[in-house]
Amino acid sequence: MVDNQSIYLALAITLFIIGAVGAICRRNAIVVFMCIEIMLAGVGIAFVTFSSANHSLDGIFMVIFVMAVAAAEAAVGLAIFLLMYRKLGTIDLDKFNLLKW
Amino acid sequence: MELVFLLICGGVAVIASLLVIFARSTLHSALWMVLSFFMIAVVYVLLQAQFLAMLQVIVYAGAIMMFIIYAIMMLNLRQESRQKTGARISKIIGVGSLIVLFLELMLVSLGNNLTPIPGPVSEKLVATYGRMAVISNFLFSDYLLPFEVVSILLTAGVVGAVVLAKRER
Repeated sequence: MVDNQSIYLALAITLFIIGAVGAICRRNAIVVFMCIEIMLAGVGIAFVTFSSANHSLDGIFMVIFVMAVAAAEAAVGLAIFLLMYRKLGTIDLDKFNLLKW
Repeated sequence: MELVFLLICGGVAVIASLLVIFARSTLHSALWMVLSFFMIAVVYVLLQAQFLAMLQVIVYAGAIMMFIIYAIMMLNLRQESRQKTGARISKIIGVGSLIVLFLELMLVSLGNNLTPIPGPVSEKLVATYGRMAVISNFLFSDYLLPFEVVSILLTAGVVGAVVLAKRER
């Protein structure tokens, strides 16, 4: 049992929900991308809390792999934003309707 | 002492994350994001995950935020920031259900007394070999396959980004 476990969990939940609200409400693609990173950070805190509560390292490895995937996602995602900006002249998510019917 | 640090750093992380959402300029959002990541690194230190705290500072606050700030500087975003966001019904429903989810998660995770299951990494093991040696031992034995897969994924991601962003002549 970690001391103050509930405070860590509350922090994790709060960060996750803040990120989700931002991802829904904002229209700028880069801000939405950063909100997703906030959600990942919140999940990471929850993983590490349970990992140290259970004397295990699985949660820590999960966060390490999430970080690696987030780095790859940042590289590809920002390249896509650059391409969209060249094509449409904006990165407003409401204007990205190529795949909508 | 730990509680004081946790409350200060957690509070600053939450406020900085809120400012990421509410900041008018995208660059300001990115800078608040860096502050939030540093505070999350402190929380990792408080949770005895020092290695993860270092990775958080180097990978997130260093590399990923650098990427994002470069991208913001390459795009001309000044005219977008003026537009007003219309409150649409889908957004209201989305935020409302997220608030319900928040309350539910808080009730479930804070109300119950969660009993831990002791895992393989005991205090004695950490005291004998050091936390870093234990982590690397697990990383290169039990988690070797995911490690290699992630390295291939990162290489593929970098190649993909270069191919996507290249100008066609």
